[in-house]
Amino acid sequence: MDSLGVLLVAPMNAYLEQELDRRCRLFRLWESPADRRDDYLRAHASSIRAVVPYAPHGVDAAMIDALPSLEIVSSYSVGIDRVDLDACRRRGVRVTNTPDVLTDDVADLAVGLAIAALRKIPQADRYVRAGKWKSKGDFTLTTRFSGKRVGILGLGRIGLAVAKRAEAFDCPISYHSRSEKPFPKYKFYPNVVDLAANCDVLVVACSLNPETHHIVNRKAIDALGPEGVLINIARGAHVDEPELISALLEKRLGGAGLDVFEDEPFAPEQLFELDNVVLVPHVGSDTEETCRAMADLFSGKRVGIIGLGRIGLAVAKRVEAFDCPVNYYQRTKQDHPGYTYYPSVAELAASSDVLVVACPLNEHTRHIVNREVMEALGPRGVLINIGRGPHVDETAMVAALADGRLGGAGLDVFEDEPNVPEALLGMDNVVLVPHVGSATHETRTAMADLVLGNLEAHVAGKPLLTQVV
Amino acid sequence: MVAPSPDAGKPLVILPRPLYPEFAAALDGRFRFVLAADADEGNAAEARAVLVPALTPVSADLVARLPKLEIVVATSTGVDHIDLDACRRRGISVTNAGEVFAPDVADYAVGLVVAVLRRVAAAEAYLRRGRWVADGDYPLATKVSGKRVGIVGLGSIGGLVARRLAAFGCVIAYNSRSPKASAPYKFYPSVRELAAESDVLVLSCALTEETRRMVGREVMEALGKGGVLVNVGRGGLVDEAELVRCLREGVLGGAGLDVYENEPEVPPELWGMDNVVLSDHRAVITPESIQGVVDIVKANLDAFFSGKPLVSQVQL
Repeated sequence: MDSLGVLLVAPMNAYLEQELDRRCRLFRLWESPADRRDDYLRAHASSIRAVVPYAPHGVDAAMIDALPSLEIVSSYSVGIDRVDLDACRRRGVRVTNTPDVLTDDVADLAVGLAIAALRKIPQADRYVRAGKWKSKGDFTLTTRFSGKRVGILGLGRIGLAVAKRAEAFDCPISYHSRSEKPFPKYKFYPNVVDLAANCDVLVVACSLNPETHHIVNRKAIDALGPEGVLINIARGAHVDEPELISALLEKRLGGAGLDVFEDEPFAPEQLFELDNVVLVPHVGSDTEETCRAMADLFSGKRVGIIGLGRIGLAVAKRVEAFDCPVNYYQRTKQDHPGYTYYPSVAELAASSDVLVVACPLNEHTRHIVNREVMEALGPRGVLINIGRGPHVDETAMVAALADGRLGGAGLDVFEDEPNVPEALLGMDNVVLVPHVGSATHETRTAMADLVLGNLEAHVAGKPLLTQVV
Repeated sequence: MVAPSPDAGKPLVILPRPLYPEFAAALDGRFRFVLAADADEGNAAEARAVLVPALTPVSADLVARLPKLEIVVATSTGVDHIDLDACRRRGISVTNAGEVFAPDVADYAVGLVVAVLRRVAAAEAYLRRGRWVADGDYPLATKVSGKRVGIVGLGSIGGLVARRLAAFGCVIAYNSRSPKASAPYKFYPSVRELAAESDVLVLSCALTEETRRMVGREVMEALGKGGVLVNVGRGGLVDEAELVRCLREGVLGGAGLDVYENEPEVPPELWGMDNVVLSDHRAVITPESIQGVVDIVKANLDAFFSGKPLVSQVQL
């Protein structure tokens, strides 16, 4: 990639910057003064073929117009609301993001912020560090989190991960989203005001678009009320910030835990002196934007699992939580009376809506999902491969998907990684997740690697790993 | 005829220190309360019950002064502030707060785990000081999901901590006096072995002679430089001077502390550390917990004075 001119829009990750610097010709936009950036772009316009933005620092139509050689926008984020996708489409500029690596981090922080806000953990920390415990004594009354009614705006992957955590605190869960989801345990409200009126803690976890801009407005805030707490780990613009500030100052709202703000890095200074808010500087990472379909694929469907080993059982346990009947195939019947055994993969597929490959790869299981199995799964069936690429006859799968003989696929693995069959990239009934790790430092490194991988694939003329446009 | 005193006939309860207003209001009119310091010989000879606000010590001396004492009613989960040997010798019953504090303490433990790993308090201070604008993004923190969490003491609190953190995708293991048949988590027979296999160690056990200072340098070294200690039990479970040294030397990665050896004294060395989250023994202070403990105290006293089984008796 030596010759690839890459424009990094802002400093975002030291590892990413170092690797880009090593592998590409790196342009650091932030190093030129804000009023000279147009000149800077003009001067390097012919060299810059790639732009790496991230959530708060996007790519607008003007920048795209200013870069005639631009071929790819590889965003270091899940959310790409600050990338002008229409402009990219018009120019034929490709766009990639870093899906799904952040779900746990954001959900962890959402629940952490809810506890911190209700139990005033940072306030206690300041109090003790200031030596006030000894001088002023204790007994600051705070509010219990366990059992509080948690309302979630947007039941995508992050929203579901928040729900799962909050359930372990015996919190009843309700939600609002564009349409009702098949989660009978969670109560659906057709609008945000009704949701806010019927919960104690409102968590914003939806994607930002014109419909959800300022979705938490004065009416929603007033419905949440003086005992209610707002948690925002999505985007600042979901909340009408001046209304939030006045509600907090006037005690019409009980408290807030905020990771995101309308005009980052500027957080409203009026909040700095308040003791009923917890403010952190966008450390939760970005919201999910693209992959909300994943969880919906599962719920209520008959799930067939190939290989009921450790991973297969873990899958079974999770899908059970979505009220899915579990079927499985294994060479011998296992002692799991709750799950239905099928002696062949084709029979399993014929009795399942979703087929999950979770067995080890060996000579017996190579291409265990063949044309016959995919036909049995059928045009409404979905194949999920979290095993190894060669479990599936990839050529047959691509053909089945293209012909509509197979309904869809969710793939984490491929026969010839990192090559992904190009035909899959244009299909909107497949979810492609490139082998990505977890853990926060590790997560960021994985994201940086995705950016690098997308750029590398682009230069090498290979299929992009996480193409959006 | 002289009207009888309104308190006459009501059971006498001795208090080592005055009641909090919530208790006084809830128990008003049911008992005759006399402060231990004000008790005359008549009171001492008559008293069958002691009610202990917060963690006020109940010494062997106080027990010896009350020859008819049959019950000590505590308002806490741990009863390490009560001389249990003296009670045991005299066959005196001790009751505690049962499980009423468990949800709040477990919530707080989870809050501390997230706050320490994700640096919530330090990131908060960073933002409030205007440093986000001046100095840019806050440094990366550590993931919670997937961490190995070791719980010391799998009682009502530890069990709830386990269930909550399991939902975060954490792998749970525990140490306690003996393995619990019903617990779906891995048991380690010693705290040191548990610490060696954990990223986060949560202390939620009782303070006894066996558990005093159970977390010393050896355990902290086993937990390691990426490890985090969270204490919602009692300060006395940890060798505090050693904890400060281990944090300063980087032997231990971080700590979330709600309890200390000599409350309200907190080692000032901790005040400047970004990898610790401190609080003022507040894990149980919510209206729900206070109502819960008022109810259980009332229930124990009523049961005792009407000869019924106690609601939350501690095994001595």
